[in-house]
Amino acid sequence: MVCFTRLILVVFLLTTFSFSGFAQTRMPQLKFTDRSLENGLRVLSVADHSSPTVAVQVWYHVGSKDDPPNRSGFAHLFEHIMFKSTRNMKSEMMDRLTEDVGGFNNAFTVDDVTVYYEVVPSNYLETLIWAEADRLSGLNVDEANFKSEREVVKEEYRQSVLAPPYGKFEYLLQQKSFVAHPYKRPTIGSIEDLDAASLHDVQEFHSTYYRPDNATLVVVGDFDPKQLDAWVDKYFGGIAKPNLQLPRVTIKEPPRESESRFTEYGSNDLPAVGLTYLTPRESDPDSKALEVADAILSSGESSRLYHSLVYTQQLAAEVDVNSETREDVSLFVLFAILSEGKKTEDVEKSLLAEIKKLQDAPVSAAELEKAKNQIVTEQLQKLETSNGKALALGEAAVLLGDPARVNTDLERLQAVTAADVQRVMKKYLSDKNRMVLYYLPESAKKGGQ
Amino acid sequence: MRAADRMLALIVLLLLSFVVCAQTPQATPPPPAPPRSVVFPKPVEQTLPNGLRVIVIERHESPLVSAQVVIKNGGEVDPPELAGLADMTASLLTKGTQTRDATQIAEQIEMLGGSLESGARWDSSFATVGVMSDKVSPAMEILADVVRRPTFKSEEVDRLRQQYLDNLTLALGDPGSIARFVASRVVFGDSEYGHPLSGTNESLTRIMPADIAKLHSRFYRPDNTILVIGGDISAKDAIALGTRYFGDWPKPSTPLPQLSAAMKEAAPSMGRIVIIDKPDAGQAAVYLARTGITRRDPDYFRGIVTNSVLSGYSGRLNQEIRIKRGLSYGAGSTLDTRRDVGPFVASAQTKNESGAQVADLLLGEISRLSSSPPAEPELVPRKAVLIGNFSRNLETANGLVGQVASLALHGLSLDEINRYIANVEAINSQDVQKFAGTRLDAKTSNIIIVGNAKAFLPELQKQHPNVEVIPITELDLNTRLLRKKQPQ
Repeated sequence: MVCFTRLILVVFLLTTFSFSGFAQTRMPQLKFTDRSLENGLRVLSVADHSSPTVAVQVWYHVGSKDDPPNRSGFAHLFEHIMFKSTRNMKSEMMDRLTEDVGGFNNAFTVDDVTVYYEVVPSNYLETLIWAEADRLSGLNVDEANFKSEREVVKEEYRQSVLAPPYGKFEYLLQQKSFVAHPYKRPTIGSIEDLDAASLHDVQEFHSTYYRPDNATLVVVGDFDPKQLDAWVDKYFGGIAKPNLQLPRVTIKEPPRESESRFTEYGSNDLPAVGLTYLTPRESDPDSKALEVADAILSSGESSRLYHSLVYTQQLAAEVDVNSETREDVSLFVLFAILSEGKKTEDVEKSLLAEIKKLQDAPVSAAELEKAKNQIVTEQLQKLETSNGKALALGEAAVLLGDPARVNTDLERLQAVTAADVQRVMKKYLSDKNRMVLYYLPESAKKGGQ
Repeated sequence: MRAADRMLALIVLLLLSFVVCAQTPQATPPPPAPPRSVVFPKPVEQTLPNGLRVIVIERHESPLVSAQVVIKNGGEVDPPELAGLADMTASLLTKGTQTRDATQIAEQIEMLGGSLESGARWDSSFATVGVMSDKVSPAMEILADVVRRPTFKSEEVDRLRQQYLDNLTLALGDPGSIARFVASRVVFGDSEYGHPLSGTNESLTRIMPADIAKLHSRFYRPDNTILVIGGDISAKDAIALGTRYFGDWPKPSTPLPQLSAAMKEAAPSMGRIVIIDKPDAGQAAVYLARTGITRRDPDYFRGIVTNSVLSGYSGRLNQEIRIKRGLSYGAGSTLDTRRDVGPFVASAQTKNESGAQVADLLLGEISRLSSSPPAEPELVPRKAVLIGNFSRNLETANGLVGQVASLALHGLSLDEINRYIANVEAINSQDVQKFAGTRLDAKTSNIIIVGNAKAFLPELQKQHPNVEVIPITELDLNTRLLRKKQPQ
């Protein structure tokens, strides 16, 4: 689950990025500069003068998997607090420096990272470098601000989990997919754990994780590289690197030994079925083939699942697949919201039948090419803006471990063969590696008793 | 940890962070450098002999092209008993033509890596493709085929109808969606914009293939159509493609339907307070809704600046409801301008217990616009927000095409793109006060709350005695009464 601090304006999922050298299409390459300060801050930048704006992002390598014990949702609550008073900024001053001058800011928290971003007219770049350095160097939040913002996060919980008919389904799908790894705690957390959080937790979390050697600054847009380097040195260079060791999650999710099944109930009128499979970490070479399989199953109306379950059999109102990559261990998720009057068992059977087809026979060359074309076009659309470019670069550096992958993943995508797709489907989408969740209306519960 | 220990730990931490902070060189933000100027691309246009208007807007930064066919009518032409007809018609374009079935259309466009979408809005229907620029010609061929030669086979109509019914079931489980449906009925009653754009359970079951074919032949004609192509393509190539695939679309000899005479005068509700009681709602959706302005209203720029004072992250609504009081994840408003008078809506979702408080905050902020209009220090940033959003929107092929299509649809000069910034900057505090006072009076606004009524009704009734409460099980979106007729 992705949790944003601000109003949700655009919802997007982080997926592995890829480029293509497909025949005639001119594929833009990001010519980035990569340097590190003595205190460990990594700085990635791309000068691009096509519009007089600049995107500034800070990626902190801390996410909801690092929530302290009995504080689920804390990393995300903390992200909200980063917009309150800092060493030299009053609450909401970040809005004065961005929104008030025609830019915008936002932030999001996922399982592995917390990302803060701004897009501003390029003449405000120095101001924003100062501001990001300021909130890295220290917070200064009072109790009233903390409590009020915690209420906002509780409303966010209600708005994303309780109010929408399938909010709880998504929440449960993640929760039931892991048994040991902290990924089992959805990013938004729980009301009880949010209520238990204190200002003390905030200061401790900041000093533990918000440090230059756990941060990556990404700047894309209209700037002079020499000037940028000087500003970064001036404002970030003086922030000391703490001597304490950075804590890292070491818990491993055990492989699944047999299928697990759950039935839960909610305020939905139409039942839903979800399947998840454990897949390897995002940086694993098999991630690309899984991404292609995801596209073959679910991208567009000619995709296998849409065509079979929604169009031909009319079993489902909606069907989707996400190869949800994570840093430690990933999930391949399939779900369907049933059409009126259909049976969950029939939908599950059809989903499994489509998986089996991909395991039994290789996809055709045309179907493989279609999936790659879809992935490339989607990627190009994400890279149209400077903020999109910065997100891709940050993800390559922080989650894939190599910023160059923003350009070289192209070759990885091209290299995926029909045999690869068949192989990963057999290897990971096995019966014993499956979790099945039925999400039924409350009325079904009464009927069953 | 005991309180005293916690306090001590806090002090230590604060001191530690101070030591670190002290090395930051300065305590105030460095001022901005001089601004860089913005240049927007200039649209080029040509009207083909059959009356089709082709508009091109170039942007070559990314190898992408977006093309949109805009039909100048949408949900407002739905007959009252066939709500959802225009949207079903537009959605069915991609579900079969004389030479391609639904599967082939999806297969062929997706083979190009592209996407093809269609649907209806208010005042327009659209079909749009986005592809890599080296694949634009085959994509345009498919786009023209689906707009000009759809077949509306009955099995496709039935299939789509079931999907619409399922989607409606999903929407009716969500407090925010229900509130939007109800707000339209409250503001527009039984007139053109009152019904749900995608129909009701009752109207959808009445729609027949013949109704769809009739709507298509009436409104989908070259002299009622605009083709907008934007992105990585030259104007010359784009116009040539438009001519190649749409140039031989014959213009009917019959005149275009005259709609303005048939349009009913909206009799807007004023001061209505409608509660939809949904006892299992996880949150209450609180909406203030009233009539706004048309897109061509001379007050348009006063209107959008006024809305920006209220809306956006640091707008007054979010300041009061989220930032000051923590009552919602987000509050905002929209001034939806249409060919006829569109709605103004301010909204927030909150825990059921705060439903009445949020309703009063929404009403209070609308009133405060005229009693306490924004002075320059408040107004200048709100105008900057509009200008920034507008400029960023033009950074993508899709955004460019959308902006230009909207100007063209309303018969406005395409040059407005290059005058937008100056038009926004010209608005002053008195303009906002006057607009709010004359066009957004709180007393004639309506309130809609969808949620668990038990939690907020007693408090709401203290301030507002005339509250209508409709249980969700009795909600009827087919008429302005909003309540199912009692069985005789």
